[in-house]
Amino acid sequence: MHHLSLYFHFVKLRIRSQMEYRLSFVFDLFAQASISVIDFFMIALLFNRFKQLAGWNLWEVGFLYGMIGSCFALSEMIGRGFDIFQRSVVRGDFDTMLIRPLGTFYQVLAHEFLLRRVGRLAQAFVVLLIANSQLAIPWSFAKVAYLLISLVGGTCFFIGLCVLGATTCFWTVQSIELINIFTNGGVFMGSYPFGIYQRWFRHFFTFIVPLACVNYFPSLFLLEKVASSGASPLGVQLAPLAGLLFLSITMVFWRWGVSHYQSTGH
Amino acid sequence: MKPYYLTFQVYLAFTKKSFQQRMQYRVANLAGLTTNFFFLLVHIFVYTAFYAAHTGPQPLNLNEVITYFILCQVFFMVMPFWGARSEVTNAIKDGSVVLQLTKPVDFHAYWFADECGRAGYYLFMRGFPTFLISMLFFDVAIPQWPTALMGFAVSMTLATFMSAALTITIFSSAFWTLDTTGISGLSYSIITLFSGMLVPIALWPEWLANIARWLPFAGLIDVPFSVYLGKITGIEVWITIGKQMVWNLFFVGLGRFLLTRGFSRLVIQGG
Repeated sequence: MHHLSLYFHFVKLRIRSQMEYRLSFVFDLFAQASISVIDFFMIALLFNRFKQLAGWNLWEVGFLYGMIGSCFALSEMIGRGFDIFQRSVVRGDFDTMLIRPLGTFYQVLAHEFLLRRVGRLAQAFVVLLIANSQLAIPWSFAKVAYLLISLVGGTCFFIGLCVLGATTCFWTVQSIELINIFTNGGVFMGSYPFGIYQRWFRHFFTFIVPLACVNYFPSLFLLEKVASSGASPLGVQLAPLAGLLFLSITMVFWRWGVSHYQSTGH
Repeated sequence: MKPYYLTFQVYLAFTKKSFQQRMQYRVANLAGLTTNFFFLLVHIFVYTAFYAAHTGPQPLNLNEVITYFILCQVFFMVMPFWGARSEVTNAIKDGSVVLQLTKPVDFHAYWFADECGRAGYYLFMRGFPTFLISMLFFDVAIPQWPTALMGFAVSMTLATFMSAALTITIFSSAFWTLDTTGISGLSYSIITLFSGMLVPIALWPEWLANIARWLPFAGLIDVPFSVYLGKITGIEVWITIGKQMVWNLFFVGLGRFLLTRGFSRLVIQGG
């Protein structure tokens, strides 16, 4: 409990410091949102011309897009500390964290909170809401609960990717940009139904990097497309948990990475 | 007395230095190549699926769309606007620009030279490999006429210059706002949209495509690629190139104007 209240205290501090530059904050909010508005606008343009994609219409794809976009924005807000972790390694600041009486994972997580991603979150969530109203999804208590778990799973998945990227810094010092393929690239490819990808590609993003588990399979379930897709019903129901599992594995990897840390000696 | 800040060699030396600096990061370049290919692959999957379900004739066939996106990945990093920022652009943001201002050179030309060195690096180390590897895996359209290739080379060079001039113009706003993330973010959206990088303009609805044709930003991506694909031919090619030149002059002028105004009120933060 003490950890949790301390975390919120940190978050409050971070938000207050970001609000110091209010005009810049507002500008950035709009800039972030405008980039993602354009992304979705372009998807809509393609549907205007081609009408459908592998049996999915615009708003079904909008549902996919809204889900993955929301998860990514949330993960960028919460997991920002891991995103910028390489700075701490380059400067040797991580040394100070090691002598404090709190876990390193917790400290890095509480280190930063990026409020300005709220712009992107709002945009993605609005797309999700519009898609929902266009599709007239029959909601039940179970479905709402499933959606929430999927959103949590998706956010955990993206935070896990950030942790993975941060952990590699223990060996490489500078972060490797390869993680971008899975974060930004993941949002991009997650905005389209998985059926359009080749088999090896689908398998990689289901079993190794479980992107499909937190976005595509949940959408199949919520849009009642499971039967027509040929996916296993039980697998689809359990799929969002893969996000939590992925984060736990990266946390173990993090712990192992910390034990290999050598200070850059500043 | 010879005004040596006007000599071309000085700026050529800056271009070379900027090129060599980047050569140090080989592993980063390899990671970047992988990223380029990943995005290319997803684009190709998406468009293949769109075209598979739609049998009617399209302004661009699938093969041309694939070539369009290969060119996008080839030139994405070359363009100073989308690629990694040059040292000078970063210096404007963090204030170390004050050191560069002490150099007895024309600052705008210096910045331009630096951006060009960066662009050259990405053309040789990122662009060409991307293109060659793509040729192994995909059916890349190659222009039938040497004139198309020539027109493309000229048009693409102008596109890169304009991209550098645009970057300088946008980042000059830092003299007024201190924090450029907002302005550069907003202009990023507008320019990315109307350049045709996300979806080829030929596939847009007519009303929006008309707006794009009146704006200069299609000159960054869609115009040179259309020349490459033979969608713009004959005398049209030279008219588009003329237009690109005019827009180049406009943005160079605007950038120079903003820089001069900016320097007259420059306050360096911190020490």
